[in-house]
Amino acid sequence: MRMRRNRRLGIALVAATALILSACGSDDGDDGGEATETEPAAETEESMAPTDESMAPSEGGTSGGGEAVAAIQESGTLRVGIKYDQPLFGVNTPSGVVGFDAEIATAIAESLGVEPEFQEAVSANREPFLQEDQVDLVAATYTINEERDEVVDFAGPYYVAGQDIMVATGNPEGIEGIESLNTADLTTCTVEGSTSLENLNEMAPDADVLTFDTYSKCADAMRQGRAAAVTTDNVILIGLIDEAPDDFELIDNPFTEEPYGIGVQEGSDLRCYVNGVLQTMYDDGSWAEAYEATVGSAGVSTPEPPELNNEGC
Amino acid sequence: MLEFYTEYWPDYWDGTLVTLRLVVISFTLACIIGVIIAGFRVSPVPPLRSFASGYVALFRNMPLLVVFFLAFFGVGDLGFVFGPFPTAAVALGMYTGAYMAEVIRSGINSVSSGQAEAGRAIGLGFIPLLREIVIPQAVRTVIAPIGNLFIANFKNTAVALTISVFELTYISRKLINETARTWLSLLGAAIIYTVILLFAGWVFRTLEDRYAIKR
Amino acid sequence: MADALVEMRGVNKWYGELHALKEINLDIAEREVVVVIGPSGSGKSTLIRTINRLESIQEGEILIDGERLPEEGKGLAKLRADVGMVFQSFNLFAHKTILENVTLGPVKVKKMGKSDAEEKARGLLERVGVAHQADKYPAELSGGQQQRVAIARALAMEPKVMLFDEPTSALDPEMINEVLQVMLDLAEGGTTMVVVTHEMGFARSAADRMVFMDEGEIVEENDPESFYKGAKTERARDFLSKIITH
Repeated sequence: MRMRRNRRLGIALVAATALILSACGSDDGDDGGEATETEPAAETEESMAPTDESMAPSEGGTSGGGEAVAAIQESGTLRVGIKYDQPLFGVNTPSGVVGFDAEIATAIAESLGVEPEFQEAVSANREPFLQEDQVDLVAATYTINEERDEVVDFAGPYYVAGQDIMVATGNPEGIEGIESLNTADLTTCTVEGSTSLENLNEMAPDADVLTFDTYSKCADAMRQGRAAAVTTDNVILIGLIDEAPDDFELIDNPFTEEPYGIGVQEGSDLRCYVNGVLQTMYDDGSWAEAYEATVGSAGVSTPEPPELNNEGC
Repeated sequence: MLEFYTEYWPDYWDGTLVTLRLVVISFTLACIIGVIIAGFRVSPVPPLRSFASGYVALFRNMPLLVVFFLAFFGVGDLGFVFGPFPTAAVALGMYTGAYMAEVIRSGINSVSSGQAEAGRAIGLGFIPLLREIVIPQAVRTVIAPIGNLFIANFKNTAVALTISVFELTYISRKLINETARTWLSLLGAAIIYTVILLFAGWVFRTLEDRYAIKR
Repeated sequence: MADALVEMRGVNKWYGELHALKEINLDIAEREVVVVIGPSGSGKSTLIRTINRLESIQEGEILIDGERLPEEGKGLAKLRADVGMVFQSFNLFAHKTILENVTLGPVKVKKMGKSDAEEKARGLLERVGVAHQADKYPAELSGGQQQRVAIARALAMEPKVMLFDEPTSALDPEMINEVLQVMLDLAEGGTTMVVVTHEMGFARSAADRMVFMDEGEIVEENDPESFYKGAKTERARDFLSKIITH
């Protein structure tokens, strides 16, 4: 009896130790992890160098490209984490993933001379996706913030959204802004693991909060009277309203600036490459075209593109 | 690493309390449902038997996630809107209750028919027969499987995060997002689950030993 | 027999195709001791088990003290309390002490006070000779002791009639007599008994009547002396020749 118990405890301890070690590994050991990837990547670069040269788009200002870029070009596909249910930005349709994020990701893939391969990313799994090398980049209404910047890198920003509030048509609760939500009497819905939730907790700490994995569930919750408001980036809300204009409306009083970035793996040379592609899109008008064709279709006027962060490029 | 846990311990603690409340309520409900449904299944009344097997068939063959969504959005669409926590407690209780009914039924079947005959022969009716003779003996054979069910029920509470119950796994995912330290955040929850469940396993083994002595 | 305690009228029972009891008519008078014998599979155990409806019947009726046995429910439970049953395999409640085995019926069915029930149980255990085992569990007792407890458990309900279904068949030979002695004492005390047994000694000294069954029907009834000395039917003589040489 005692023997058996000790053995079980032992197994649990071994498992826990393994977890701790691997946690530390992914936490502080980024350099080590990179190093192991460097060797084969470097070989590839050498052997592929002439091909690279010939394939690189000359008109892009897409200067350089290190191991990561070379590895993507060798594999022939750009693995993109993208939202599948984010109207106007990333929606999975029978004919493929469409939306502003999809346009940007496709432009990056074209510039690299490879095919984009979309995978569904939900808000909570975007960092793990990159950290575990499931995708090359994340274009998923991905707000740049400090905590995330510590574990992944961001190209861009390629768009600045603002957090706003969606209410039932006619605004029956008279919600005017984020201050109106700061009461336990009103339930506000947003998505688990999102910056919007963090902002809500910070700016309306007394709010009663409901969270789901997708905004469509928030919309359902509002229809059932479980929530008085949904808060997140205005563009997302516009997408929801676009689908059910009779049910919802935007209060149009944004209270944050949410710069959207393209997430890449920590330290990856892909970041500067993507910035180059974005700059090209800004300059030749294809950024504005992509915006008008997607987000703009919901009646939002096209803003000036935000300034890119080229630090370290 | 330790600073991480000292800093976020209050969050973990809140989540642990929600998880424990959910476990206690759902598992109590599962025990009650299990006893009633198992009683129906062995009862001499055919409609009760059919009801009970229908119940078990329904809940055993549906993924828990579907049960949760049906209980939350489906029942909500019918006009019965309950909060996330009560919905999760009842849905999980009904789900585990179906498994509990099967465990209890097999326990009842493990009691020899002679025991029930002797009980009937001294004039015990159906309910007192179950209460005095069959269930107390069945309990011995079902402690271990009920222990397994408890552990499964405990871990299944994590699914409640999908309907906005801020339990332990939800908290660890929230910390992932706030701190972007995936492994560390999940490890905290893993340690808490493991410690509690190792303790629960010990309790059930002790119960098993105690009830086994008399036989 | 107007004062019959147990009346079986035209009782028929089938297990699927098998006709287990064929047109049974049997009256048992108060204070009478009836021994039922017959080859295995002859229906004697089935017969005795229909008397408290542990087996259902498809045709006919059974009356206990003038009352028809109900099909199910509270009435049946109440009538069963009037019929004591002793099983071949004792069937003591494994999770209860000897004393609890005996007090359970009086407390739960007859709503007797716990201390009264215990006092009575101790008296009965004394009578069957296992009083000093009262706080043990059944598994700690020998087969003979367990069967005597089972008799005490049945007697605690103060039944109108006691049924014994091969009470000594599962016992080691050296334990048979201690159980038979208890049964003989009961018979002498005037308890109405129906006993399925092959114990000739018991039948000769206690039985008022022998009932011989074969293939689901009552073939012959007689007093024990006449039955053992000169059975009227060929089937009974054939059966007796087998068990006596055996």
